[in-house]
Amino acid sequence: MNAIETAGLSKYYGKNRGIIDINMQVKEGEIFGFIGPNGAGKTTTIRLLLGLIRSTSGEARLFGKPVPAGGGRLYTKIGYVPSEVTYYPEMTGRDLLNYSSGFYEVESKRQVEELTERLQFDPEKNIRTYSHGNLKKLCIIQALMQQPRLVILDEPGSGLDPLIRKELFDILEELNQKGVTIFFSTHVLDEIERICHRVAMIKEGRLLQVGPVDKLPGRDMHIVVMKIAGLQPSKVELARIGEAEEIPAKPEYYRVLSRQPVNMLVANLSQYKLEYLRISDPTLEEIFMELYEPAAKRGQNSYV
Amino acid sequence: MFSLNIIFTELRLNRRSLLIWTSVLAIVIIIYLGSFTYMEEMNVVEMIEGYPDLFTTGLGMSPEMFGDVNVYHSGLVMLYGLLLASIYAMMLAGSMVSRDSDLGTVEFLYTRPLTRTTILLSKVLSFLIMMLFLWAIAYLFSAVIGRVWVAPDNFDLSTQLLAHLMGLLACLAAGGVAFAVAPLINRVQGTTSIAIGLGFAFFIFNSLGSLYEQLRFLKYLSINHYADLTGAASGQAPVTGLIVLPLVFIAGVAIGIVMLNRKDFTD
Repeated sequence: MNAIETAGLSKYYGKNRGIIDINMQVKEGEIFGFIGPNGAGKTTTIRLLLGLIRSTSGEARLFGKPVPAGGGRLYTKIGYVPSEVTYYPEMTGRDLLNYSSGFYEVESKRQVEELTERLQFDPEKNIRTYSHGNLKKLCIIQALMQQPRLVILDEPGSGLDPLIRKELFDILEELNQKGVTIFFSTHVLDEIERICHRVAMIKEGRLLQVGPVDKLPGRDMHIVVMKIAGLQPSKVELARIGEAEEIPAKPEYYRVLSRQPVNMLVANLSQYKLEYLRISDPTLEEIFMELYEPAAKRGQNSYV
Repeated sequence: MFSLNIIFTELRLNRRSLLIWTSVLAIVIIIYLGSFTYMEEMNVVEMIEGYPDLFTTGLGMSPEMFGDVNVYHSGLVMLYGLLLASIYAMMLAGSMVSRDSDLGTVEFLYTRPLTRTTILLSKVLSFLIMMLFLWAIAYLFSAVIGRVWVAPDNFDLSTQLLAHLMGLLACLAAGGVAFAVAPLINRVQGTTSIAIGLGFAFFIFNSLGSLYEQLRFLKYLSINHYADLTGAASGQAPVTGLIVLPLVFIAGVAIGIVMLNRKDFTD
């Protein structure tokens, strides 16, 4: 059974585009990454799945049942972590967890204790004293404590330090091994690479690609930023390494998008007198830019 | 149909404002009802008779009020008490709904395994409990101040009970209006502004409708007119108010449910 299924799902805010004709299936027991730049439509899709907004056309289903427009029992199976977390400032973390558990019939005390310990969270403090990171931890605990069958997370790693972020993804993987479906949106390629089975790429409201992580376009690219002293290479020479361009604001600096293996790339670069060199994997934003933005528009951006 | 979890949480989240507004209403009762004996001594009746009718009617006053403690309390003190309480009722009902959009807790509350109808009805029930508390305390203060201090022989508790009941119903109707409008508003500040504006509008509409024949229609737009506190002071149950005010409350809640179910919770 599909945990999530959308068919022709579209949302317009007046004349403004939200998402257009999203067709996607997330199988039960899958870890599914939903990636795209800011404003691509990730949060709109998630809000549609949660019934917080109504679609303009098309349909979304969770576990084979249509997403209820006015909420309902279906949400006993779902844990949700939004990107921006806010709670009632009058409450303590413990109050909020008790409030949340009151909506479910599942005994969650043991889960709460385990999750607060693993995420190093103190639930006894007043919510208004929590940092962004601690609010996120509180949100993660309340989403996972009632043993959901599907966890939807919008930018789950934001606001968390690297150790806690790693712990979170460990927890998500453990849940997945117990059969829980994980659906999360992110900008961070590392998070996708680490745990996702499949990903969907969305841009400007349209789904570009759905498939396994290792088939993600642009994964074989390297971004090279370098400063060459002395005799400058010709365009033809640089083209042998990859798609190169000068960085207008910085004389003698070049940015090269190369698909060469790293050892070959380093060998080719060694012929130049390099004063600065940085080789990095592209961020998701850069993959999107390289794959889907016109070259002329890309040139307007500085990468140093 | 109701979530006890939400009802208790709403009571808890709003208890401070409830205590503040109940205290304000109690203080108004203590000061104004308590000053009735001094008004008698100061010959206020003669003073009021000297004022132009337009002025006294506009402020909801009549010379007879200052000669009878029951009419004075129900018709004048509670008139201003109702102004305050109805503003609070609309602020409370409005903020119960719009607070989640304003604060950002929509993504928490509206993704629980509850229908939006259950969420709103639970908030309505906690609103109802708070209004009952507010008016019960108001009645208690009226009874104690009136019966023990001001007019032990003349202060009629059953007349006052009717007046306070009409006050309660008027506040429920005001809350119903706020529940109907609040799903359209994403900021508590917005619902507060509307509550204050509507509260004064109801008061002014009733006054203008009583003053000018041409503006008579305005008072039919005011919950104060249907509460008919002066009529209640005479011991006669305002039948129209007893029907209209609960209907406005029920209709307001029903509209609120429809609006909330149609609402898109965007950022």
